[in-house]
Amino acid sequence: MLHNLVKIFFMLICLCSFYYLNAHAKVSGIEHAVFRITNFQQRPDWQSPWKLKPTVRGQGSGFLIKNDLILTNAHVVSDSRMILVNKISSSKPFLADVFAIAHDSDLALLKVRDPNFYLNLNPLKLGGIPKLRSRVRAYGYPMGGQELSRTEGVVSRIEFGTYVHSGIDSHLLVQTDSAINPGNSGGPVTQHGKVIGVAFQSNLRLNDVGYFIPVPLITRFLIDMKDGKYEGVPEIGVQTSSLFNRHYRRYHGLPENNTGILVDRVVPRSSAEGLIIKGDVLTKIEDKRIDAAGMVNFGEQLVSFFIEAENRQIGDSLKVEVWRDGKFHNLSLTLKAPPFGAELRNSYDELPEYLIFGGLVLIALNRNYIHLTGNLSPSLAYEHWYRELERPHTRRDQSVLISRVLPSSVNTGYTNLQNFIVSTVNGSSINTLKDLDKMLKDMPADTRHVVFESEWDNMPVVLDYKKSLDQQQDVLKRYGILSGSNLSETN
Amino acid sequence: MCSPTLLLFRVLHAETPPIKPWFKKAVLLKSYQQSFDWLTPWDKREIRTQSGMALVVNLPLSKKSETWKKDDKKTLYLLTTAEMVADATLIEVTRKDIRQPFQAKLVLMDYAANLALLNIENSNFWDGLNPIKWSPVKNKSKVDAIDVYSFKIKSAHKWEIESGTIQLMTVGHRRVSDAWFPILKLSGFSKARQGFPLLQENEAVGMILETDKRKAIPTQMLLEFLEHAGKATYNSLAHRGFSWRELPQPSTADYFKIPPALPGIWISRVLPYGTGSEVLKHGDYLTKIGKWRLSHDAIIEHPEWGHSLFDLLFLDQLKVGDPLELDIIRDGEAMILHTKVSAYKDDGRTVPLKRVGYTPRYLIQGGFLFQELTANYLSMWGANWRSRAPVRLRLFLEKNKTVLMGNNLNDESELQSAKSAQRFVLVTQVIPDQINIGYQKLSNAIVQQINGQEIRRLKDVEEAFLNPDKGFHRIDFLPGSDRLSAVLPVEGLNQSNERIKSNFRIPKLKSY
Repeated sequence: MLHNLVKIFFMLICLCSFYYLNAHAKVSGIEHAVFRITNFQQRPDWQSPWKLKPTVRGQGSGFLIKNDLILTNAHVVSDSRMILVNKISSSKPFLADVFAIAHDSDLALLKVRDPNFYLNLNPLKLGGIPKLRSRVRAYGYPMGGQELSRTEGVVSRIEFGTYVHSGIDSHLLVQTDSAINPGNSGGPVTQHGKVIGVAFQSNLRLNDVGYFIPVPLITRFLIDMKDGKYEGVPEIGVQTSSLFNRHYRRYHGLPENNTGILVDRVVPRSSAEGLIIKGDVLTKIEDKRIDAAGMVNFGEQLVSFFIEAENRQIGDSLKVEVWRDGKFHNLSLTLKAPPFGAELRNSYDELPEYLIFGGLVLIALNRNYIHLTGNLSPSLAYEHWYRELERPHTRRDQSVLISRVLPSSVNTGYTNLQNFIVSTVNGSSINTLKDLDKMLKDMPADTRHVVFESEWDNMPVVLDYKKSLDQQQDVLKRYGILSGSNLSETN
Repeated sequence: MCSPTLLLFRVLHAETPPIKPWFKKAVLLKSYQQSFDWLTPWDKREIRTQSGMALVVNLPLSKKSETWKKDDKKTLYLLTTAEMVADATLIEVTRKDIRQPFQAKLVLMDYAANLALLNIENSNFWDGLNPIKWSPVKNKSKVDAIDVYSFKIKSAHKWEIESGTIQLMTVGHRRVSDAWFPILKLSGFSKARQGFPLLQENEAVGMILETDKRKAIPTQMLLEFLEHAGKATYNSLAHRGFSWRELPQPSTADYFKIPPALPGIWISRVLPYGTGSEVLKHGDYLTKIGKWRLSHDAIIEHPEWGHSLFDLLFLDQLKVGDPLELDIIRDGEAMILHTKVSAYKDDGRTVPLKRVGYTPRYLIQGGFLFQELTANYLSMWGANWRSRAPVRLRLFLEKNKTVLMGNNLNDESELQSAKSAQRFVLVTQVIPDQINIGYQKLSNAIVQQINGQEIRRLKDVEEAFLNPDKGFHRIDFLPGSDRLSAVLPVEGLNQSNERIKSNFRIPKLKSY
């Protein structure tokens, strides 16, 4: 009897040990696949677009997602000059390169150059959308130390929010009170041993508010990258306003017990153009009912109906039901890339476009420039945001402006000029910086004046054409500028 | 024979004028001001008090028969700054020799020039008071700084002399009214306040306008104000009718067919009012005003003050109504334009400049608070509203150019249509009521149409609400607002309005 009891006790001990060791092995497996990423980053100087700012060292995290690909955030590795990857508890850095980057969803894939890096490493598996209030764990290399950090918390909220990296894109994000600090970005958030998200931003003004990118967006990114070319998160292309007000619903003749969201505007060149029209009420998307605030059921929560587009690829179809002229209509959209220009997003991994002529520094207005201190003037705000809304037929592909003047004898009197928005040059409308460059080059040799006019300024800028050409090299040399222009090939 | 002490005393005070005569020429002023709260335009803001001075002035005798003066014998009034008495609910004046304050009433305000005229109906107030004797500034060009005096008031009964200097006679920009007038720049005064006289050799040479900015308005401008104040046609003081820019460089002059060596200024904008506004055009190159040649940066040689901005001519060389010739180059040709000197006027801008003494205009329908966009409304964003107010609203202020106005206010026809006083009507907020549930996020949305009718001013809103469409009122907003449209039902709207009026203690649903 005693002998049997000892046997049973011994077996219990072994089972517990086995369980403990197994659980411990899972934790160790995750941690070995989480890396510290150091990015030596050099951002453009938007005020002097021919220059780069000093290199700065940034730190983030990443994890092995496939056999040789590391997933991290785009903002961890953007504008990179060199990327180093360290494994847990190892000071040996490995050189890595960006394999793919998606600024619209703040995701990126890296590849380490040395194949030995990947020995004995197992990629982490992706899970699903976590439940509200469930526990999660965040791994990463935040500030405050060098070793891997692990923090725990719960899922607080799941909703749409702005992805700060691009500044304009809004996607599903998951909020947690698990500490997510600078340096955590790119690290995995796990549940039951699987990755359920990528930590990427937090709200430093609030307590315990961190966010991670959920798996559907990650999966979308990985699928998008299968052909080696990133196309982007598609958009429907409508601006909407709520139909909470019952009188407004009545005005649109919406049947009782039906809800939906009102289409205020269809963005030109978008997925919705030609199919959805202003005044439509969107009532269903795929099989989901849209409520008066434009929300659809998503697990336990309500999220924006745009969720149905953002989990798909460009070229996929999307079914919508609209209420129009007293009837329901079923439509099928083919999803396209967002129709707004790249200038509305924060720009990364490319040098600013510019053109220098007669000491005038001409640039294409973009988000990065407008958010520099002192630049958010009403006229620039109008050109950047409101012209498209108010007078779309007058929209140009680029808003070209004289951002500043490099003083020289050809432009004396204009040296204090700033942010002069160019409407026409010698009476001709300017659509892009490249157009302007061509126009200036094609001007007849006997042209006397180059006249830059603006809707916003009652005095034009007038330069002597020949003198401007003659002094071009001297201006560049004087100000240490290697090239008089940097123009995009794809205008 | 004087004692050494007495001699020293006399030496030290040799330059100080006697103060006693001024007790009968100046009074202390205290105003209780309460401006409207433009965010809740039926309410007023907290009362604030200001202390300063008012000067006893004599209106010219020829003005006795002017319409607003009822008593032919009366010629004495009190002169002070407009800022002292703007939006005043109570103005009290106290003589040096009488403890009891008297109540004053505003009879005229020129807010652009920052001047105001007050009257006291109690005849006892005026007993023994004498009008100020005015004089132009003396010793102008002889010294770097001209010694002058004012008062420092230690208490109602303890007045002392404070010394200072005039640094410069120049032209100042009064930003609230976008007006350029001659002013004296002062130095050395720390206690003198608004309305205090500026004294030189026992005569008043100006009146202090702003203590912290150390400015005073010179005698000639005050006399001009007193001369014309009683006229029904009075607007303000003589003023230019254009904005100007310096031609930056020879290539610009060449482009505009202007001889490069010819000094002058380029007319960048013609205002709807002011000297030259009726004859000048955008793009003209002005070389001479009357007999005065202009430099490249608008400097003329003033006979009294030397190198000065041309606006200084309105101090004492050019008066309202004087004939005037303007030498210009237009499209490469020299010409002389004939006009008359005219005054500043509130130009009926699309976004009106700050106004005082006006009740805010608003209309409430279904909780939607309709107001016109004005500088007064924008000033609710604080002293730095020009950079802090919503950029979308500041857009309409910037150089009066907006999409709703058209492309180019340098074009004469566009400018003329601007004169027809379009306003921008906003829904500044939605006062919560069951009728407007769902619209609560709407704020500062610019109204384009109501029930299909274009909205160009507040009055249009009331008219548009008379024409509902199939039992609904539809309000359309300018794109870029929180939403593009909203709807209110006809049925229940009046009850909603009464509920809102009662719940929010709003005295009336419209004011204009």
